[in-house]
Amino acid sequence: MIEIKYFGAVAEKTKCEFEKIVSSEISLQELLQDLEEKYHFNSLSFSVAVNQKIVPKATDFTLKTSDIVALLPPFAGG
Amino acid sequence: MNTSERYNRQIILPEIGEVGQYKLLKAKVLVIGAGGLASSILPYLAAAGVGEIGIVDDDVIEISNLHRQVIYKSSAVGKYKVDESKLMISELNPLIKVNAISEKLSGKNAISLFKKYDIIVDATDNIFIKYLINDACLVTDKPMVYGSIFRFQGQVSVFNYQNGPTYRCLFPDENTQSLNCEDAGVIGISVGIIGMLQANEVIKMILGIGEVMNGKILVYNILNNEQQKYDFEKSTNFVMDKEVFEEKYKEVENQVEEISASAILNEIDNHEVLFLDVRNNDEVPKINFKNGIQIPLMNLENEFKKLNPNQTIYVYCQSGIRSKIAVELLQKKEFKNVKSIAGGALAMKQLLKEKVSN
Repeated sequence: MIEIKYFGAVAEKTKCEFEKIVSSEISLQELLQDLEEKYHFNSLSFSVAVNQKIVPKATDFTLKTSDIVALLPPFAGG
Repeated sequence: MNTSERYNRQIILPEIGEVGQYKLLKAKVLVIGAGGLASSILPYLAAAGVGEIGIVDDDVIEISNLHRQVIYKSSAVGKYKVDESKLMISELNPLIKVNAISEKLSGKNAISLFKKYDIIVDATDNIFIKYLINDACLVTDKPMVYGSIFRFQGQVSVFNYQNGPTYRCLFPDENTQSLNCEDAGVIGISVGIIGMLQANEVIKMILGIGEVMNGKILVYNILNNEQQKYDFEKSTNFVMDKEVFEEKYKEVENQVEEISASAILNEIDNHEVLFLDVRNNDEVPKINFKNGIQIPLMNLENEFKKLNPNQTIYVYCQSGIRSKIAVELLQKKEFKNVKSIAGGALAMKQLLKEKVSN
């Protein structure tokens, strides 16, 4: 199980704040691509964290079961 | 004036004491923006005895601000926010110095302003200015206390503190956009809490106590009270020094021509003119120009070839900020006659009722 957390405008696209996917041997980039196809983030920009740590956008590695991925867009209000 | 009596209850904290109170007195903090976030940042910094506080904002108080900008009175509608917040502080704590700076922060004034302060607090509501604050903090080597809101969620972080990571390390893509409070909606409590957390970071930095949110971003959701902290690292993918700064911010200000929403009324049916909407597809109100096209700002770099560089193009977004960035980008691609519509769709909405849909 990999858990994915969504924040801000990203969560409005996904219409949920988190979800779990049953998947083994999926890489971070594959996961992001799957999410893009599912939710069409298009022009929404966000940073990606794995286990509470922001990773550079192009990083790729195989996710482990129990990893938590978070999509964090910048906020603008004040 | 009996200073130690005023601050007694915090002086008796072992982490503060007379020494800590003196550090607060000597501190100079610049708050950019005098809106919702500042409405909790300013009174708490002032009451704690931060010796000098600068406030930068060129807005006047509107009635729709009052539900969240709780330091302003109904009778102050129409007055400058910096003047009213200075008045509020002087009544709250006459022992401290307040500088009301009724200017818009820009590439022209940022560096000279920042140099006069120790800590810069971002209490603004647009992403373009957040990059400007970040970059000016890098040039002047000042820490930036970031706070931002999206509906019921908020973010807090501290950038460029003790050579730590910056806003660009966290969010490298500066052509990004997120709705501000005017566009997305907001409740006073969420900006209040996030502003309070920013004030807390300022106080910790001044006193040298606790753990500063350096290299960490806190995301707070007031609907379920969940808080998440994420670590991020310094990236070395960009250079920001005085020269780069001046080059970058000079262009935006000097070259972007604006046209007012009322001036475009005469041009609506002019087929020589193209109206370019750089908002995302899901943003409303939609304005149905006969000769309109939508290319979200994020995609403009890749899709500008759809446009004719010799045509007159009026660019708009929600409030007139992204459209300026788009104009700058198009100018770099040799577009001859592009202008940004001041106030964006929100300004046009008032004037073009029959063309607006949600």
